[in-house]
Amino acid sequence: MKAISLELYKLRHKHLFLMVTLFLTVEIAWAFMATSMSISHNPDNAGWEPLIAMLSSMNGLFLPILTAICVSRICDMEHKGNTWKLLLTVSIRRSTLYAAKYISTSIIMLVACLLQVLAITAFGIVNGFEQPVPLLLLIRFFIGTVLTNMIIIALQQWVSMAVKNQAFALSLGMVGGFIGMAADLLPLGVQRIFVWSYYTGLSPITQSYTNEKMQFIVRDLNSLLPMMVVLIAAGIGIYLAGCVHVSRQEV
Amino acid sequence: MLRRCISAEWVKLRHSHIWMILVILPVISVLIGSANFYMNQGVLKKEWYSLWSQVGLFYGEFFFPILIAILCAYMWRLEHLNKNWNMIMTAPVSATSIFLAKLIVIGVMLIFVQIFFFILYFLGGKLAGITSDLPGELTGWLLRGWIAALTISALQLALSMRIRSFAAPIGIGLCAVFFGLGMYVTHLGMFFPHSLLTIGMGVLTQTSLSSGESILFIIMNLVYIVVISTVAIHRMRKSDVVA
Repeated sequence: MKAISLELYKLRHKHLFLMVTLFLTVEIAWAFMATSMSISHNPDNAGWEPLIAMLSSMNGLFLPILTAICVSRICDMEHKGNTWKLLLTVSIRRSTLYAAKYISTSIIMLVACLLQVLAITAFGIVNGFEQPVPLLLLIRFFIGTVLTNMIIIALQQWVSMAVKNQAFALSLGMVGGFIGMAADLLPLGVQRIFVWSYYTGLSPITQSYTNEKMQFIVRDLNSLLPMMVVLIAAGIGIYLAGCVHVSRQEV
Repeated sequence: MLRRCISAEWVKLRHSHIWMILVILPVISVLIGSANFYMNQGVLKKEWYSLWSQVGLFYGEFFFPILIAILCAYMWRLEHLNKNWNMIMTAPVSATSIFLAKLIVIGVMLIFVQIFFFILYFLGGKLAGITSDLPGELTGWLLRGWIAALTISALQLALSMRIRSFAAPIGIGLCAVFFGLGMYVTHLGMFFPHSLLTIGMGVLTQTSLSSGESILFIIMNLVYIVVISTVAIHRMRKSDVVA
């Protein structure tokens, strides 16, 4: 607990929250502009489903990169200030340090996801959608996004900690964002391998083209649960592998 | 003086493995672009032009600007480390040489990236079974792409110099990519570095620029490079460094 609050304390002058908010604003503005345009073309699209689907496919592009940037900043400050040796002379275990960094990044990204959900709700209400706010869908969207985020954070943290040169971690984030964006075009078997494709993979809404028309289908929760379990297991695996590897590295 | 600064920059890049990133990002964009082209050959019938529209979209719109951002952030990383700002500011070289040396080194690396990208594009086209001749506009696309890339480099170098964090300028660069896309869509593309890249590389429309547009393109790029560099160098001269 103390380690986490210290991590957040170290971030106080880094304007990290400001950057996350700005980055999200760009994403949300873009998503809402696109949705407004599609509503003006076709008033049938004025519903919660297209909005959520739009945002989850945008997340595939933006959030991996945003995560890479956040994780890189939190890990790089130790590389940059040469503070690893200092930190390790304090009687704290390396795994605790790793966990503290992981949790504080997760908290930041959690706030980001929460902001998204609030923005969706606000947009829907302002545009006068006829249906009531679909709490359940929003909660599922939120959980899916947070879960995918947490696994990507584990992966990014491993790379950012193990390789001092942050260019690699950020390139990985870029590639991830790219895969996330193109995920829906890949065959299903390939999609499942890449963690970045789960922003759309775990989204409660799926799109399909039938008869040249876009349709939005609400996914069954039961079909997503096994995927979530596998994903959580993979995330724990990545986290532990990273933690063990980094803890044994020489400083 | 400038020459010695440039060779110093090369020395700093040794053992950085930065070449891996310069190689990997174009490879990925060409792979995805070519795969998309190969699978949709029914719709994309204009052979090399269609392949360019696919490959160029991924590369020019997305990977190339970020590649530049990463490269520029890396160029200043060493200065931000270990109190090296004090060292470099006390070295007997002018601030102009330091900044220009970095810009020139990046320019040279970007030439290689463009050539490498061309080779990949060519190979991708041949593998996808295109038999016609290469389009005549190709040299123009690559060259103008490089010029616009220099403009983005100047911008990113200035940002990375000012901002100590490695990742933040790259995030700003990414936001600029989307802003540039918006500027391009609203036909204001000539007035923003990132949309100059879109125009220069013929990413979204493959029609070549008229001679008037070409001149405006080059002038805008020159103006941006000169203004941004001057501001950055002025800042380096006047404001105190925080090591």
